[in-house]
Amino acid sequence: MARPLRTEFVGDRAGLFRFGMKLSALTVLTLGLYRFWMKTRLRRWYWSAIRPGGHPMEYVGDPLEKLLGFLIAVVFLAFYIGIFNLILMFLSFSFWEGNFVGYAASFIVIIPVLFFAKYRARRYLLARTRWRGIRFGLEPAAWRYSMVAMVLWAITLLSAGALWPLMTFHLEKFRTNRTWFGSAKLSQGGRWYKLIVPATPALMSLWISLGLVAGFGATEDPAFIGGLFLSLPALGVFWVYYRVAAFRYLQSNKMIGDDVAMTATPRFWRIFGIYVWGNVAVGFILGIVASVVFFVLVVILLILGFSEDLSDAPVYLAFPLGLLGYFAVFVFWDILTQVFVRMPLLAHYAESIGITDPMALSALSQRDRDAFLDAGGFAEALDVGAAI
Amino acid sequence: MSDFENDLPDPRQSKFGASKDSKPLAEEQIFLDYFDGNSAIPRRVELRIEGAFLSLTPAEGPQVRWHLADLRRVPDQAGGKDASDIVLALTDGSAQRLYIPADHENLANALSMKTPVQSAQPTVPGIRYKLLGLSTAAIASVAFILFVLVPVLADQLAEFLPAEGEQALGDVTFEQIRTALNQDAGGSVQICERAAGQAALENMTARLSKHASFPFPLKVHVLQHEMINAFALPGGHIILFEGLIKSADTAEEVAAVLAHEMGHVASRDATRGALRSAGLIGVLGLVFGDFAGGTLALFLANQLIEAQYSQSVEVKADNYAARLLADAGLPPEALGVFFRRLRDEFGDEEGLVAHFSSHPALRDRMQAAAEAGRRNENNPTSSVLTVAEWADLRRICG
Repeated sequence: MARPLRTEFVGDRAGLFRFGMKLSALTVLTLGLYRFWMKTRLRRWYWSAIRPGGHPMEYVGDPLEKLLGFLIAVVFLAFYIGIFNLILMFLSFSFWEGNFVGYAASFIVIIPVLFFAKYRARRYLLARTRWRGIRFGLEPAAWRYSMVAMVLWAITLLSAGALWPLMTFHLEKFRTNRTWFGSAKLSQGGRWYKLIVPATPALMSLWISLGLVAGFGATEDPAFIGGLFLSLPALGVFWVYYRVAAFRYLQSNKMIGDDVAMTATPRFWRIFGIYVWGNVAVGFILGIVASVVFFVLVVILLILGFSEDLSDAPVYLAFPLGLLGYFAVFVFWDILTQVFVRMPLLAHYAESIGITDPMALSALSQRDRDAFLDAGGFAEALDVGAAI
Repeated sequence: MSDFENDLPDPRQSKFGASKDSKPLAEEQIFLDYFDGNSAIPRRVELRIEGAFLSLTPAEGPQVRWHLADLRRVPDQAGGKDASDIVLALTDGSAQRLYIPADHENLANALSMKTPVQSAQPTVPGIRYKLLGLSTAAIASVAFILFVLVPVLADQLAEFLPAEGEQALGDVTFEQIRTALNQDAGGSVQICERAAGQAALENMTARLSKHASFPFPLKVHVLQHEMINAFALPGGHIILFEGLIKSADTAEEVAAVLAHEMGHVASRDATRGALRSAGLIGVLGLVFGDFAGGTLALFLANQLIEAQYSQSVEVKADNYAARLLADAGLPPEALGVFFRRLRDEFGDEEGLVAHFSSHPALRDRMQAAAEAGRRNENNPTSSVLTVAEWADLRRICG
């Protein structure tokens, strides 16, 4: 049996930063139109950095196709959302004399579409992903996925979160068992209850937090709020722990075809460190950049002869300068998060993945191209696509 | 190789030198990983340049020949500036790939200079036409929804909204506005209700509403805020800002503004507006998405659309006010007098700003008010408040 195959990650922070700055500038200058190109090019970059067995992944999505899909989604959703929201608000005020029911209902009617959009986006993403020239694919089942997801969510909520592992496992299984690499079908093995142990600390923290909120509601004793300062950070830490453990278990129990098994060994402390130190770095750099930008703007206005509190600066100067500052902060925040959080996370997860017996891949062959109309457009319009 | 010889371009244009002879690119032999687009197993091939062709020879199996003009580099590859590996693909969109690691420096350099970066891949056939058609359809359908469907539906539904529902809508909006206007976080703007001023305001309201009928009992509030403005909310709420009362010279000017807002209440304009914006915001959110500044674009677009709707509504409310003032024995031209002072102090809104403002240009409204005053010349008018009442109203916020 051949050596197991490991994954390299070759992306570099400086390269991503330069690339991201360029793409963001174009997106802002085109009032957001370039975002379809930006997303595609960033995906190409990220995919090419992930190299199982030394051979880069490849993303072959087309920005035009993405724009097309977005337009299709907008045509459908504009009708759905515009008319539905209006009618819901009307009903809400007619029968419940407030807007709460309307907001709640407008959120609930969009939920099935959100799951639908997520699955469609994943299908598009896999259909446009190749490794060693071989296409990935996901079978069409977006509405079924949406139904299954809602049932699993309902079960999870009814069990006050206790059956969260059941949902994690079965959603992953639903997606995995419909995923293909070339002519080989992936399959998810394992048992859902193996995720109960890693989920327990997070669920405990969740229940303690809910208990504290309820306790404060009943007694208004501030000691309960003090408890939240401990239980909520714990929930955050244990939640990350669960995500890492679930990823490790689920990936390690996947098969590609009948003969090739996958392995995954992401380490919790590494992931946790990236979240903490990555975000600290983002906040620190952003703070410096924002101060410098603000300082420069104020100096410019002062040089132009306005008083210290700038209250007499005319609108035609203050507005564009304010706009510039606003964009600068947003764009910077997004890029820094990519550079210090998302890329290192992806790198660690990618490098932890391997496959056993790569020679068994010789049995599989290419699959047909999945022509696609909406190209993840629903996810794009509803903002449920992953960050990249 | 002789089969290809006739197709060869002029050797002087050949990208890797003039020789037609098969030869390795460098002194040493170069072996690379090639994928044939059918199997996931890498093939080690020896790379040679043969005239205008790249030949890939595996240890066993058939040789592959690529015309140099058909080669494209896959764009946007990670790996840093000084160490960029090259992935070669073909223009026909086939899944074949050749990987050239950056350590084959000469080859990589030669190929990156000579091979164009892959541009658009032929994904969806005729995508440009589809794109054009769909963009038009998308713009048309969104415009139809924003400018026709949502307003018409809002107008229709506003008729059927029960009075209790409309008052609840008004109460919610009123609280939202008080919170939004407040400068300090967490609080809301004070309602002014000193008894003497309140009494004067009630007299003024009573004098006007005697001549009108409204779907709801009127609730007129003064808010402690320097803005010179007033508006009507669903369910019979009318809000006057302290700034407006302070900047009016006479009680009749305030009465004129009040009459204008009563016009909005009578025709339930605010209710239509609230229902409309429930539909608008969702659709605009879809179109602009989450790119940096999306929220800002959303806000501006909403302002622009709302302004389009409300121009005609404002004119109607002005006309209503002119009639109501005349009926109540008050001077209709007071609205114009008030606007004139505003203009002298702040200037008319013209150009871009006017597009974002929901009110028609002041000049037109002043003319209309003066016109109404001339028509009313023969009717006797009397003061709306006594001198003492007017002083009380001006001190309603203390």
